[in-house]
Order: sequence, then C-alpha cells, then structure tokens
Amino acid sequence: MSNSVIKLSDVDIGFLGESPLISIPNFEAFAGEVIGIIGVSGIGKTTLLRTLAGLQQPLNGQISILGKSSFSELVKGSIGYIPQRLGLVHHQTVGYNVLMGALPQATWWQSLFSLPSAEMRLRTREAVDAVGLSDKISDQVSQLSGGQQRRVAVARSLMQKPSILLADECLGELDLATSEIVAEQLLHLAKEHGSCVILVDHSPARMRVLCDRLIELHQGKIREMEPGSISLPLL
Amino acid sequence: MLSSLIQNLRKRSRLITFIAVSLLAYIVSRHLDVTGPNLSRGFDNLLVIMAESFPPDFSVLTNRASWSNPPCNFDSDILCSPAAVGLLQTLEIAFLATLFGTIISLPLSSMAAHNLSPLWLSTITRNLLAGLRVLPSLIWALLFVIIVGIGPLAGVLAMTLYTIGYLGKLQYEALEGIRKQPLEAARAMGLSRAVVTRYFAIPEASNSLISQILFMFEYNVRHGSVVGLVGAGGIGWYMQYYISPFKLYDRVLALILVLYVTVTIIDWLSLKIRRRFIESEEVKKPRWRDVMLPQK
Repeated sequence: MSNSVIKLSDVDIGFLGESPLISIPNFEAFAGEVIGIIGVSGIGKTTLLRTLAGLQQPLNGQISILGKSSFSELVKGSIGYIPQRLGLVHHQTVGYNVLMGALPQATWWQSLFSLPSAEMRLRTREAVDAVGLSDKISDQVSQLSGGQQRRVAVARSLMQKPSILLADECLGELDLATSEIVAEQLLHLAKEHGSCVILVDHSPARMRVLCDRLIELHQGKIREMEPGSISLPLL
Repeated sequence: MLSSLIQNLRKRSRLITFIAVSLLAYIVSRHLDVTGPNLSRGFDNLLVIMAESFPPDFSVLTNRASWSNPPCNFDSDILCSPAAVGLLQTLEIAFLATLFGTIISLPLSSMAAHNLSPLWLSTITRNLLAGLRVLPSLIWALLFVIIVGIGPLAGVLAMTLYTIGYLGKLQYEALEGIRKQPLEAARAMGLSRAVVTRYFAIPEASNSLISQILFMFEYNVRHGSVVGLVGAGGIGWYMQYYISPFKLYDRVLALILVLYVTVTIIDWLSLKIRRRFIESEEVKKPRWRDVMLPQK
C-alpha cells in the first residue's frame, strides 16, 4: 500500500458525558483505498465519519490525518465530507453547489468577490457532466430528485478532489444505473486521484464490489473483513 | 374542613380573579389620573378636532410647499406639494435606512448566530444588537435631530440604527434556523468561518433574509412617518408643521389619508413579494383584510 492518510491509536468515539460508542485500538487507512463501513443503525458509523472529518472530538486517543495531529494544520480541502443529508445549498443551482468544491483552492480575492477562474468553471462543467447532470446545471437543487441531489454532492467532491473522502450513505436510494455512475466516480477518485474513500453503506452487494477493505462496527468494536467474505442477503 | 375551604375558593376563583383585576385597574387608573372627568374633557377636545378636520383639505396635494426642507426644485406644484414631498421623503428615508441597515446588519447577524460564530463573539454582538433595539426609532430620531439638525438626514440615521438592531435579530434567528449539514460539509473542507457564512449559510437562508428585508422596508415606511414628528424629515414633519403652529387639522387629516393609502399599497405589495420568497405553507395568500387590520 502507499501512504498512510489516517491513523487512529486507542481512540474512543462518542459523545461527551456518555460512554464511548466505539473503541478503536488501532486503525490505519491508505491513499487510493476504498474502505467500507458497515454496521446496524445507531452503532456509530456517522459519529465515526464526523470524528474523522474533524466535526467532533474523540473522547480519547490520537488521531493523525495526513501526518498531522490537528485538523487546523491540514491543507484546506484535504477532507471531503458528504453527510447523510448531503449538505447541499438548496436555494442554489447545481452549478453553484458543485463549484463550492473549488472554494478550498480559491484565492482570497476570488472568495471575496465571488470570481471563479475559467479553469474552475471548466472543471465544474466536467464534474457535472461526469455525474450525468449536464442538462440540470442551472436548476435549483431543491427541484431535483433525491438521487439527482446525491449526484450533485458527489460532483462537488469530484471538484474538490480531497485526499480523504468521507461519504455517509451517498449511494443509498439510487437506482441501479445512477448508483453505477456514482460508484464509478468514487472509484475514479480513489484509483486515479489517489484519494482514500471511506464509505458508509447498507448494501452488502455494493460493498463487495466497491471496497478494498471492509470495517464492521459491532458491539462498540471494529472488525476488519474481507469484502468477499460479506454474505449477501437472500432477499 | 381545609379541603372544603380550598374547594370553595376554587369554585369562586373566577370571582376572586375578577375582583382582584378590577381593584388593580382602579388603583393604577387613579395613580395615572385616568379619570372620568379627564376622559370626558379629552372627548370634548376630540369632537373639536374632528369638527375642524372634516372635510379633509386636499390642497396639500396641489399647493406648493415653498417651505419644504430640503427645497423642492420641480416646476410642478403637485410634485412639490407637502403630500408629495413628504411622502417621497418618507419612502426615501425608509429605502436608505433599509439599505444601510441591511449592509451593516448582515455581517453583524452572522457574528451573532450561535451556529456560525464562537460563543464570545455571538454574545457580544447580540448585546450590541439588543442595545440598538432598546431605544425606539423616535428617540433615536430626537437624538440625531440634536446631533445633525432638523431634516431627513436625522431620519435616515435614526431609522438605520433601529433597522440594524431589529433586522439583525431577525437575521441571526434565520441563520440559526438553517440545516447544519451544509455547514458541516463546508467545515470539513477546512473553510474559514467567513467563507462558510458567505457561501453556505447566507445562500441557504436567502429566502428568509430577503423576506425580512422587505418586511423591514415596509416597517420603515410606517415608522419613517413617525420620526418626522420630531423634525427628522418625511411626511410626519409636514404633519407636525400643520399641527403645531397652525392647528390645520383638515390638512393633517388629508396627509394621514394619503399616508394610509400609500402604506396599505406598500404592505400589500410587500406581502405579495415576500410570499414568493417563502415556500412555507404557513404564509397565507395576501388579502386586503390582512393589510387593513392591525397585525398581531
């Protein structure tokens, strides 16, 4: 494997004043990997992703991201996060939301005067094309279907090209064709750009195909599994 | 024995409440000198004013106001009439106050919102906004008339300060009401607070913010007429001119009717436009009844 991008040592994850949801003695993730996280609802999958995104402090232990022990030391845009509810600006267009992925790379004057470069605009168009929403680029996000909104969130991450992408159930509720488009883009991000993609998903079949490694959260612990070992439900 | 007494008291609680409230009302009325003879004297004055007010003198719409402040340079007497000049000034004061107030209150409200700023900054900013709301626009107008002199400038400054305090509160509440996911996605990217606010929070709350700005303009038109009474420009200043030295109540009534029609039209238009920006079903279709009746 190539460079280590996430390293956890004796980390307890959960909420202050409560007992830890998950205890992780050791965990390491590498660039270019696609890691799947599975587990029953309420086990702490989202809390784990939020902690890795720096939105929540661990209760104990050391988290090292891209070799830095503090999130504030990271280069802007190193982490991409797609929350369960996608985190899109509903009153804005598809193009606007995708362009937001370029904000970490924008200069201060581009941010201040809202002046994206020609290259940013071109990449926005390419990211929107990649998820098959070319004809919707000027549509307001609130007018799109749930599946189309998920594609917008993925396009924003394609635009951002983060070193680590944390995606919380971004493949759920998608039809097969759309799910394939989105999965293909996530794989492209990992294999071509070298991002480490960490996915939370409930579909065993999808996880088997997509992931290099699988992590199961069970009774407050993590257990590593081979993607091929995951059993497919009969129904 | 005790329980039967309590039950008796409970049965008569309405009577006791009625007697207590009546007694309190009597004591407070005596204290404030709200007495029958005073009310009757006031009623006599009202009858005199009403008699002098009718019919309204609509010459305020046609005669030139040579004493207008600032002077009116149009050739047309109608355009330079007290009603036209006063009304235009009131609308101009409301427009500038809303514009300046919005420009200043938007960054302040972002600093006051708990979900966008650290606790120390939001506490300081909220206190500042609350301080601006402590004084009503009329008192601000009085202060600015003393500072910058009689005229619309005092009105613009007074209404701007009040707009900052009032609109700032409405806006930080709107910003606090947005969904947290767009902010989290932005924060995970490592963006600064200012960028998160500018590109995620404000666009997400944009419909509410635009609706509140329109409401504030509507409010400022109504209150812009009041600040004129203390010399801060607008139609209120022309009303005061007729009331104070000359007691020309028929002209005052005409100005009030002109203002009433204008405010009603603006309220209706504002309601209609604001409705476009709010998706919630709770916002009813604007009706004349909503505009005419005082709002709760």
